[in-house]
Amino acid sequence: MIRTLRRTWNRLLGSLRRNVDGDLAEELDSHIRLLAEENIRRGLPPEEAYRRARLQFGSVESTKESYRDQRGLPALDTLAQDLRYAFRGISKNPGFATVAILSLAIGIGANTAIFSLVNAVLLQPLAYKDPQRLFAVREISPLFAALGPVGVNPVHAREWAALCPSIEQATLVRGGPAQVVGGSTPMSVPGARVPHNFFALLGVEPILGRTFVPEEEQEGNDRVAILSETLWRSRFHADPSLVGKLVLIDGEKHEVAGIVSASFRPPYARAAEVFRPLALSLEESTRRTGNYNYAAVIRLRPGFSSEQALAEINVVQARFGKGLKATLMPLHELVTGRAQRGLWMLATSVGAVLLIVCVNLANLLLSRITSRSREAAIRTALGASRGRQFCQVLTESMLLAVSGGALGILFASWTIKLLVAATTLDIPRLAEVRLDAAVLAFAFCLILLTGLLFGALPAWRFTRNQPQDALRAGSHTVTEGRRGLRLRDGLISLEVGLSAALLIVAGLLATSLTRLLQVDKGFDASRVLTVNVGLAGNLYAEPASCERFFDRLLAKVSAIPGVQASGVITALPTQGDTWNDPIYLEGDGRRREERHPVNNRYASPGYFRAMNIVIRQGRAFEESDRGRSVAVLSEKAAKLLWPGQPNPVGRRFMGEDDKPKTLVGIVAEVRAVLDRDPPPTAYYPYWQRPPDGVSLVVRTIGGPLTVASALRAALRSEDAQLPIQAIRTMEEVVDRSVTQRRFQLTLMAIFAASALLVASLGIYGVVSYSVARRRNEIGIRMALGAQRSRLLGLVIRQGMAPVVVGLAAGVAVALLLGRAISGLLFGVQPTDPLTIAGVSVALLVVGALACLIPARRAAGTDAIAALRCE
Amino acid sequence: MWATNMSTKPEVWQGTLALMVLKTLNAMGPQHGYGIARRIEQTSDNLLSINHGTLYPVLLKLEQEGAIASEWGVSENNRRAKFYRITKAGQKQLASELTQWAQATDIVARFIALKGAKA
Repeated sequence: MIRTLRRTWNRLLGSLRRNVDGDLAEELDSHIRLLAEENIRRGLPPEEAYRRARLQFGSVESTKESYRDQRGLPALDTLAQDLRYAFRGISKNPGFATVAILSLAIGIGANTAIFSLVNAVLLQPLAYKDPQRLFAVREISPLFAALGPVGVNPVHAREWAALCPSIEQATLVRGGPAQVVGGSTPMSVPGARVPHNFFALLGVEPILGRTFVPEEEQEGNDRVAILSETLWRSRFHADPSLVGKLVLIDGEKHEVAGIVSASFRPPYARAAEVFRPLALSLEESTRRTGNYNYAAVIRLRPGFSSEQALAEINVVQARFGKGLKATLMPLHELVTGRAQRGLWMLATSVGAVLLIVCVNLANLLLSRITSRSREAAIRTALGASRGRQFCQVLTESMLLAVSGGALGILFASWTIKLLVAATTLDIPRLAEVRLDAAVLAFAFCLILLTGLLFGALPAWRFTRNQPQDALRAGSHTVTEGRRGLRLRDGLISLEVGLSAALLIVAGLLATSLTRLLQVDKGFDASRVLTVNVGLAGNLYAEPASCERFFDRLLAKVSAIPGVQASGVITALPTQGDTWNDPIYLEGDGRRREERHPVNNRYASPGYFRAMNIVIRQGRAFEESDRGRSVAVLSEKAAKLLWPGQPNPVGRRFMGEDDKPKTLVGIVAEVRAVLDRDPPPTAYYPYWQRPPDGVSLVVRTIGGPLTVASALRAALRSEDAQLPIQAIRTMEEVVDRSVTQRRFQLTLMAIFAASALLVASLGIYGVVSYSVARRRNEIGIRMALGAQRSRLLGLVIRQGMAPVVVGLAAGVAVALLLGRAISGLLFGVQPTDPLTIAGVSVALLVVGALACLIPARRAAGTDAIAALRCE
Repeated sequence: MWATNMSTKPEVWQGTLALMVLKTLNAMGPQHGYGIARRIEQTSDNLLSINHGTLYPVLLKLEQEGAIASEWGVSENNRRAKFYRITKAGQKQLASELTQWAQATDIVARFIALKGAKA
């Protein structure tokens, strides 16, 4: 055994060693001389002595041959030989090699980077225990049919857990900010209120300390908190003795119960860094209708299906209200849901780019192979087997693929770092993206596949050569056969078709983004600054103190030079369709759930001017309205209450707080989510229900950022303890809400542009190659009197034929696939004729240009020179 | 006889040849290829006449297995020649192969004797 291993090892070394043939020859030669000398000593004449010696020795050549076979590993030797040939072949053609390796590097690199995203975001299981048994539940109320599924009423969730045999546990989540004082300065971080079973249900153990206990769900006992590892490290220096100590959260002392790992991504409160027990008020824990304000997650018992669970939940739902239903979604889908379609689109597109690269390389290699048909013929004539020749050509493409792939992995690792650094991107679990073993394995398979894909066809063609034909044809004088041309034309069509589909998708996304940014938002974002102000702690326990704070702050801000108008509002436009509660007319007999929900906002009088929101009727509320119950509605909200009444200003209705309000004005619609129709909205003066958190908006006269420092100083002077969040322009706020679209569009544009570039290179390569090959034919045509313009036309016509075919196919594919991406579009149909026409024209122009250069070369051919060149 | 058998049953004979090479090197110390071939012929009283060329693949195999080692030296007629010597591993291999060989011939001999008695 050891002997065999040792021998194999030595043979492996033998394969790598060079120039040992000389040694062997010398050894054998000396052997024969010794034999001959002995013969001479026996008295033979020298000539006869040498003849005898050679006879005694046997065939020197066959000895050498069997020696060689045993010295190394034949397969390895063949491979080494093929590699040497491949290196030689590639270095003979550095231009081709550079194009090939670079395009492969980009193709493989982009695919690897996108795969690492797909892998981390979509394919890897959540860090929860048995995630396949976890489901998110939402309720479907017939009254909110227009809104789709809504949140969950806590009483309902409690009943499901109690009554449904398939449900092991149910838990709730309610996200919301928390102000934490760690070190010296307070900061506002995302937080969540959760019941005691939340962590156990997800199967998450704290890395330090404990989770909550049921008693802590009582009001008054809930001054405990679990912190995220991230917060613990950044604010508390990863102090292990923090557990059990008190920290100041929202101005109250909370005991730190435990620390949870940074990798834990709680559902519905993805970025939460502070968890506190969910203590339900008596009202909430008994209210059986409405209050769909919580997110719920259930864990099924092993062996039960989600269909069973849903059926059981719906039975329970029927007791709470007629038509009340629920819907389940695997938790994984919830966490990745929104990003899913976009990512798959990117993955498909980047795959298409690599396919185009492969097709293009196959085409270029095919051209090169055809010009090497004499070489192939000679090899075949000398006895090289087809398999051997196939392998040899394939080795060349594999070498290119591996070189390109290695470079591509390098590209990918940079790209991933860039992607992760771009933190504004709203991709779930983005921080988990890395170049790990799975991604490397993917890249490796991709390299092999790529090499096979673009190498196999040329290699096969190389071995299909008929040696007699190739040798007789003399390679230069005869125009190439139809078969080879058709193959290459087909490949060009494929490239063009894929590029067309990618360009159309990119075009549609670009149109979507443009339309989205140009859409009438209902306000004017230019020259507007915003900053979120959150009040928490003992200082602001009384609503009146919040009110006084905002009164003083607004007075200070409006005095800042350069400020044209300023105001506050509880939630900025484009930041979400939130605070949905019904408004109604006094004496409305319907139940609360049957009334129309609208977005409710508390704002200051200056808000409408600061945002340039058009007042359609009446007026905005004013300082003089203090003490009076007034409100402003959006046009849609007014229509909901008083359908068909042209001027309802001055009438009364019941606000979200169930108190009567007098309508003083009607304002234009404002988008709560950029890509959705504006919801009906009600605005109330902030002093009617002083909020503890608002966004301050400031319209400036000059450049908005000049006011920023004065704004910061004003906030500081009001309350030095207040954590000051980032001051942004409103344009930036809007822009951030389209980050994901912009990201998708940017990548798609890059993919489509590289596809177009590669395809045009391919067209150029094929046409110019065929022109070069047909020099002789063109020379004859010219000698027979063909016009230059007709030659130009001939070449362009023949070059463009596959482009037109491919374009038609590509457009057809895009039309078919359009439905799949329609969810990613805004304000444009997937069949948008303008986009398709634009892409077609662009592709035809690029294709024609790619043909034109070689065509002009053909038309410029000197007939005499072309014919004499033989 | 050697040559014909070489072509029909090379493995058997190659195995035997390897044993002869090892035994020769063990008995005589470092030798070049010519010396080994000559010595085998002499030992067999020239009953075996070797095609000397067949020796070299066997030497290569033994060297790859680590049973022998080689280095360049000067032959008795002042020519550069490659000298082979047996290694420790080779001596071990030789000993075990000799035992095996002895057992094998012993068994065969018994059968031959058996046959003779019956006839």
